[in-house]
Amino acid sequence: MSDGGEAEGTRDEQNGSNLRSGDGDYSRAISRVAMAQICEGVGFEGFNESALDSLVDIAIRYVCELGKTTRFYANSAGRTGCNIFDVVQGLEDLGKPLGFTGASEVHTDCVVSSGAIREIKEYVDMADEVPFAQPVPQFPVIRERRMIPSFLQMGETPAFKHVPQWLPAFPDAHTYVRTPVWNERLSDPRTDKIELARQHRKAERSLLNLQQRLVCNGSSVATTSAEPCNGGNGSGVNNNGNLSLEKPLEAEDIGVSRVSIPPKLSSQAQTEKQVSLLETFAPAIEAMKDGLDSGSDGEKTFPEKRDSVFLELKGGKKVFGEPLDLKIRKAVGRTSSWFGHEGEKDDKKRRVEFILRQSLENQQELPQLIDNVVCFSPFLEFGGLVLEELQLEGYESSAMLQPHQNFLDSPLPQMHWCCRPLEPKMVFCEEEEETNMSLWRTQDNFLRHQEQVIKHATWN
Amino acid sequence: MNGQTSHQQPKDGRHDDDTALTEFLASLMDYTPTIPDELVEHYLAKSGFQCPDTRLTRLVAVATQKFIADVATDALQQCKARPAVIKDKRDKQQKEKRLILTMEDLSKALREYGVNVKHQEYFADTPTAGLDPASRDE
Repeated sequence: MSDGGEAEGTRDEQNGSNLRSGDGDYSRAISRVAMAQICEGVGFEGFNESALDSLVDIAIRYVCELGKTTRFYANSAGRTGCNIFDVVQGLEDLGKPLGFTGASEVHTDCVVSSGAIREIKEYVDMADEVPFAQPVPQFPVIRERRMIPSFLQMGETPAFKHVPQWLPAFPDAHTYVRTPVWNERLSDPRTDKIELARQHRKAERSLLNLQQRLVCNGSSVATTSAEPCNGGNGSGVNNNGNLSLEKPLEAEDIGVSRVSIPPKLSSQAQTEKQVSLLETFAPAIEAMKDGLDSGSDGEKTFPEKRDSVFLELKGGKKVFGEPLDLKIRKAVGRTSSWFGHEGEKDDKKRRVEFILRQSLENQQELPQLIDNVVCFSPFLEFGGLVLEELQLEGYESSAMLQPHQNFLDSPLPQMHWCCRPLEPKMVFCEEEEETNMSLWRTQDNFLRHQEQVIKHATWN
Repeated sequence: MNGQTSHQQPKDGRHDDDTALTEFLASLMDYTPTIPDELVEHYLAKSGFQCPDTRLTRLVAVATQKFIADVATDALQQCKARPAVIKDKRDKQQKEKRLILTMEDLSKALREYGVNVKHQEYFADTPTAGLDPASRDE
């Protein structure tokens, strides 16, 4: 059926596998297009994928086989470059199984008259010229190799005498020598100061929160209402070791129910006074809180519940008020802010100690004002530490924590509350306002004073 | 087997041969084979064929194209020789069917050339794949 052609399918050889695997997808894709075009020229209207793939494989094998055979003949003749005679002989070899066309002329000298060429000629004359569908770039593309520059090109001289300059240069020292890298952090004194001020503001705000809670507790106790504030007490928040303190207060007990003065603490006689104190404190605290908040982030958080624990150092009593942590239980939502300042705890501790020391030293200065010290600490440990410190020092009478300008270079004046247990007065002392301290008899006066203070308050 | 022309030929014969050869190659250059030159060069280089002459690559390309065309023609004949399986309901043209290159035709055609292509039956190309060959043919 087939007219003899030099066409010869390849016998299955071991080179078949590498033909398939070694071929790139690109060349195979091009072959597919070419084969499809040939088939279309023959007369086919369509093809199966597998059939086309097989045809592509066969065509590729044919080309490779022809090249191999041609090379073989050239090598046999002692050449490395192939010429047309080698190709013709290869063609005849491939067509051998089909029989010889013009067998007698195989070994003729005239190549053109060989059967293979004759057939090709006929084909060329007969077949339509169907060029390839798309332009094909030269491939495989040779990537430009980046050579390592030589010593000469780098402008370096090799370290060793035996190394000539035209050789590639050695790699840089940083590629094989490991040097420690310090994470240099640029310190901007201004931003540091701003950050410090911000932290102080946060601390003060927390302080005020605590104050509010104390006031809340006190007021709620005074009203003797089963307020929800009490509920918070029961929940154990943090019982830090520091706040163990000396008093065996139960968390539930302390609660807000009592003005949070455990029985061990000062006499009950002071309870009512404290209550009133807290009441007095409440508006002031709120006002101050507002002032503080507006001065800082403008955050306004009013305690729905008047929870507050009130720390008092009564004269002659070494027992301190209930731990601060109890208060914290109250404000569920606001405690979160308190425990976020872990990084500032040490700072706060130092501040507390310093303040205490200073207050002890300056105790004589304002004796008439100092009866009680209310310590507010945003941190449980902080408050506990304060109390412990005070107790260790044998501190029995209240002292006023003085603000100190030079304390830790803090730009903020230390705010503290002084409260007198016996009188419903509250003195708000601020650094610049020491001389203006006076005893306020009513809440209104105090509030008015607070307003003034707030106006003059400089927190930075 | 020497690729070089024998020296026993009379000069005019060789001269004729040479001219014929050059003519042939020149005619070859006019014809643009479907298989692109770059592809052929790529595969020839892979197999060790080393020749800067583009005419030779054209020759190889043409030879390959001829081979494939022969195979395809045989397959086409196989396809046409098969009686039409599909019968139009409208009975317009019973023998009308698209000429599709299938593996079966291809394998039959290639067998003539010594290529043994066995198609895996689970690789179903057509609805009739996997059926008994006898029923397929008729």
